[in-house]
Amino acid sequence: MTTYTVYKEQLPELFGKWSEEYSLYVPAKLREGFYDLVAWKPGLEIAWDFDVAYNSPKRFLFPPREALITFDRRTCEAKPVFEAPPQILFGVHPYDVKAINQLDQLLEGGAPDQNYVRRREATVIMAYEPLTVSSTAFWASVGAGTVAHGFDLYWTKIGPAAFTVEVGSAKGEELLSLCGGLVPATAGDKEGARRARARVQFRARKNSLRYNWEETPRLLAKCWDSPLWRRYSQMCLACGSCNLVCPTCYCFDIRDEVDDQLGEGVRYREWDGCMLEGFAKVAGNHNFRPKAQDRYRHRYFRKGKYIYDKIGELGCVGCGRCVRACTAGIANPLKVFNELWEETAHEH
Amino acid sequence: MNTKTFSPYVPRPVTLVEKTRLSDFVTRFTFEQDNGKPLAHKPGQFVNLSVYGVGEAPFSISSPPRRTQNTFEIAVRKIGVVTSAMHNLEPGAKVGIRGPYGTSFPVMKFVGKDVLIVAGGLGYIPLRSLLFYQLRHREEFGRMVLMVGTREPKERIFVDEIAELAKSGDVEVLETVDMPDETWKGNVGVITTLLPMVKDLDPSSTYVSMVGPPIMYRFVIAECRKRGIASDQIFVSLERKMKCGLGKCGHCQINELNTCIDGPVFCYTDIEAYQEAI
Repeated sequence: MTTYTVYKEQLPELFGKWSEEYSLYVPAKLREGFYDLVAWKPGLEIAWDFDVAYNSPKRFLFPPREALITFDRRTCEAKPVFEAPPQILFGVHPYDVKAINQLDQLLEGGAPDQNYVRRREATVIMAYEPLTVSSTAFWASVGAGTVAHGFDLYWTKIGPAAFTVEVGSAKGEELLSLCGGLVPATAGDKEGARRARARVQFRARKNSLRYNWEETPRLLAKCWDSPLWRRYSQMCLACGSCNLVCPTCYCFDIRDEVDDQLGEGVRYREWDGCMLEGFAKVAGNHNFRPKAQDRYRHRYFRKGKYIYDKIGELGCVGCGRCVRACTAGIANPLKVFNELWEETAHEH
Repeated sequence: MNTKTFSPYVPRPVTLVEKTRLSDFVTRFTFEQDNGKPLAHKPGQFVNLSVYGVGEAPFSISSPPRRTQNTFEIAVRKIGVVTSAMHNLEPGAKVGIRGPYGTSFPVMKFVGKDVLIVAGGLGYIPLRSLLFYQLRHREEFGRMVLMVGTREPKERIFVDEIAELAKSGDVEVLETVDMPDETWKGNVGVITTLLPMVKDLDPSSTYVSMVGPPIMYRFVIAECRKRGIASDQIFVSLERKMKCGLGKCGHCQINELNTCIDGPVFCYTDIEAYQEAI
């Protein structure tokens, strides 16, 4: 598709125009080493060199708490609730775009989750090539270093004040042209973008799986009874932090809340986590995954095998957020997969 | 279906028309769909029932499919918040349902075959749907055997109904309790002890459907296999916490299967390899 060159000095005007109709989120530094997408306002300093947004972008499409229906207790009437504010996510790294593509497939497939579908439709994704790599990330080795689709625009910083912008959708091109005068990227600019990408990809390979990521489901199939699960999970606090920060975790709970007149109420969904103790518990207190070990293994199987078996991609995009979020230091897909690989090395 | 306003999370209203006490903790609820239409479920499917303000929970449908009536039954043990709230409802009360969801017992496979129905504890509730559906077409099936196991005599449910079935001669009924009291005159022991009592069982043409507590499956399946019944002739309905019913929320996962859409009724062959299933 078409690629344009855009200069930094054009951004304030573009951002201003966009934020008239959209909520615009851009990467910013929260404090040393912590970045996140925050609401843009004029003058906000953009963290161009952020390594990872500590919170994943799933929260814009699948909020931590979201109303599904409203109901009246007396009449038992229920109505759907749809909220889909128009929003632009500017500065989404490719591995996070990949994660969003996965959510699209999983939540829009089968019986489409209309709440997700609507939010997704109202969202513009502006991908951004990372300049730095988080010390815990390994996305380049799990096939999440590049994305071919799922973005409206793809920004690459090719110099202190210039970007190439690859168009991914008509919507994206329209937004980019709001301030007029689009300049097609020259061959030199495109080469600059290619180099920028190659540079960061090279750096991202520092942390790597020791095998081809496509082997993961086959690897896991051999490792159900591995001692690794217990070794790591015995330190698990069952806090669910790894679930919360994961860009591809989307399990949820459904709950009711009633007003103070006990008349009308809201049924909402809330992020849930398979690492929490009661996740698989049914009425009568039978727990189908009673041990931390069962839950820990389930999470890695889901990332490495179950999702793969469904859509042909790893459920882990290698962002490394869980590694940083885990207080016990046991959430580390790279380490887990590599150790399992070594454990079974005699079989390869 | 208007996709502009459609949400799979919106329940539709049903009205409680009858409430029958089955044991100290279990009650049968008969509901009527407010839209006047039959529920159009298949034996083994479930609905997600909402007591607004309290919550939503999945329940197996206990009545056989009805083409001309808009009523359906579920039977519920008072054990959590939703089930307790249900027990407080009186006829005329309204609740919401979503569904029917999930897979069902493949009744067509059972046509012309012998049928063994194994109900442990509350497992009789979902199997009732299958049992009465088959009884409605009794001549389509060979021999029919119903095995019922309960922990204690006072926990037995549908006592009169089961006694009547035994009397009717349409079904051979075998019953046992684990812990007898002075009133109990029947078999004593876990449900697996009933299987050897089924005489002249033809394993090649016997199809087994079973529902019961998690612990029951392993033993009954082993016993069936010992009698020579192939694993693709064994059907189980598994309990998990189906929250959304759409294969999204993740609570009911058994390895990579979602019990709410891939189950709750599984052919044993399909889940044999899944460590989390049984």
